[in-house]
Amino acid sequence: MNGEMLSYLIIVPLFGAFSMPIVSLAGRRARGAWALLISGTTLAVGSALFYSVWKSGGVFLYTLGAKSPLGQGVNFPIRIVWEVDLFGAIMVLMVTLVSFLAVLYSLSYMKHDTGLDKYYTLIIILELGMLGIAITGDLFNFYVFLEIMSIASYALVAFRNDTWEGIEAGIKYMFVGSIASSLILLGIALLYGEYGTLTMGYLAVKLTQNPTVVGKVALALFIAGLLFKSGASPVHMWLTDAHPAAPSSISAMLSGLVIKIGGIYALTRILFSIYENSVNMKAVGWIIIIFACITLIVGNTMAVIQTDMKRLLAYSSVGQIGYILLGLGIGLAAYGSQTGEIALAGAIYHTFNHALMKALLFLIAGAVIHQLGTRNLNELSGLAKTMPKTTFTFLIGAAAIIGMPPLNGFASKWLIYESSAVFNPLLGAIAIIGTAFCTAAYIRVLYTFFGRPSERAMEAKDPEGTMLWPIIILTVAIIVMGLFPWQISDKVMIPAAKALENQMAYVSALLGGA
Amino acid sequence: MIQFQFITAFLLVVLGIYAFLAKRNLLKLVLALDIIDSGIHLLLISLGYRIELNEIPTAPIYTGYETLKSPMVGPLPQALVLTSIVIGVCVLALAVALTINAYRHYGTLDVRALRRLRG
Repeated sequence: MNGEMLSYLIIVPLFGAFSMPIVSLAGRRARGAWALLISGTTLAVGSALFYSVWKSGGVFLYTLGAKSPLGQGVNFPIRIVWEVDLFGAIMVLMVTLVSFLAVLYSLSYMKHDTGLDKYYTLIIILELGMLGIAITGDLFNFYVFLEIMSIASYALVAFRNDTWEGIEAGIKYMFVGSIASSLILLGIALLYGEYGTLTMGYLAVKLTQNPTVVGKVALALFIAGLLFKSGASPVHMWLTDAHPAAPSSISAMLSGLVIKIGGIYALTRILFSIYENSVNMKAVGWIIIIFACITLIVGNTMAVIQTDMKRLLAYSSVGQIGYILLGLGIGLAAYGSQTGEIALAGAIYHTFNHALMKALLFLIAGAVIHQLGTRNLNELSGLAKTMPKTTFTFLIGAAAIIGMPPLNGFASKWLIYESSAVFNPLLGAIAIIGTAFCTAAYIRVLYTFFGRPSERAMEAKDPEGTMLWPIIILTVAIIVMGLFPWQISDKVMIPAAKALENQMAYVSALLGGA
Repeated sequence: MIQFQFITAFLLVVLGIYAFLAKRNLLKLVLALDIIDSGIHLLLISLGYRIELNEIPTAPIYTGYETLKSPMVGPLPQALVLTSIVIGVCVLALAVALTINAYRHYGTLDVRALRRLRG
């Protein structure tokens, strides 16, 4: 199938990012308009791609530099390919949507900072790297995009380099991230040495024909590196430092997108599209389930005791990553059964939902910091009187992340609870306990918001203009998605899980049905 | 024949990880990252090296290949390592820039001083 559209997904942000310094010579307004135009165009391309992949139900393939990925006169692929199935398309839609809103929000949120041409360049490069990871079908190409994404996010975490917090968090994030990247590169080198190819689909064929120990060692390195990147629990410390330290628009992108694309999505893609038929899925699934349980308990319980609003949200991100990993792990361990499929669909659904919810919550946190200049929960009491719109949207976001029925978080969490309870009741119980702590953490924030107004809160007022719009758009999206939970799940998420499990389609799109 | 290049690559990676865990100076940690990367690059580039018919392979230059008739080293790992080195330089530059900033704020390069965030 043709995938001409895929190339625009990379060309537009790449052009936009590197023309940014030139455009910003024309002034502040031109710079903002250009950033908005570029991310808006990317959003349009991303939505069109999602729609056509969803409509056709197939795999889109784009070969760089030639018509066919196969070499001349040989029947194996030698070129770099980009390959998108429905799961990848959902991720593309998620990335382009949240990035566009983050850019829109930055227009007034970052108004008082300097060096904004670099900021917008980096934010669009960050989007570019994530889109590349979502569409790539080549392991080394994946590594390159992963590093583009990581370097941009290290720089953005340390963007406010006049404060010690940004610098310290940036350094921690960079050391952990570089080690994780090195592990992934080592895995790629081992796989290349053993099988002599880097194309994911062809690696799957080779691994199925001849599963070796080296392949398993490479898988272990991938899992280790990508769990680092996704902030799973024993190594979540960098996440809870880095995400609060970044500017809020960046926190929304880091928590909403980067840990999912660079961690969960890549892990899922590698496990299903490369290793599906060559490793013991049950064993790998249980390893991931164990990490998932630790992550979701630690993340949610630590969220309860935080006094810093953004740090609370970051710990809550760790907890939600635990749910997504739990869905993924059950999808692996119960591979082939309906339970596994539902769990996987729940994981994909929750990935998308959590991107919207956590982006909303971080943007609101940014608005609060913008008004009050503090993120200490003890000083934020009584905001409900002076910032009613903000409080109301926070209420919606918090209810969605807890999983209240009329909102979007309910359906995805329900799919995960249901499949985990069917798979193993103990896991279902752990998931529910995690949610109880999550509820406690958010109720604490809401209790503060509705409490007796402090002096600082009396002078606060709701954000205006481009800071308010992204918040409203995300709130509306959460409510609307909540109105059609099962339709979305049946029409989009279950087919996405099926497409992901169908390695044959992924491979035959690459090899041309051969 | 003993494959010295693989042993060296392994030693470099282990050395880098040891330095990363044991050293406390920020610049030394940056160097440790670079040493790990170098080890992986050496492993990757060694994968393209092969001796066929007891002949030492030549560089992967395609012009004149038909007349030369001797084996070539694999061109793909060289391209990969070149890309990876460029990425490594980016990370290194950013790391050193952040280290300079950290030195300005903390007045020391000791990583133990960077403890104000509570993990």
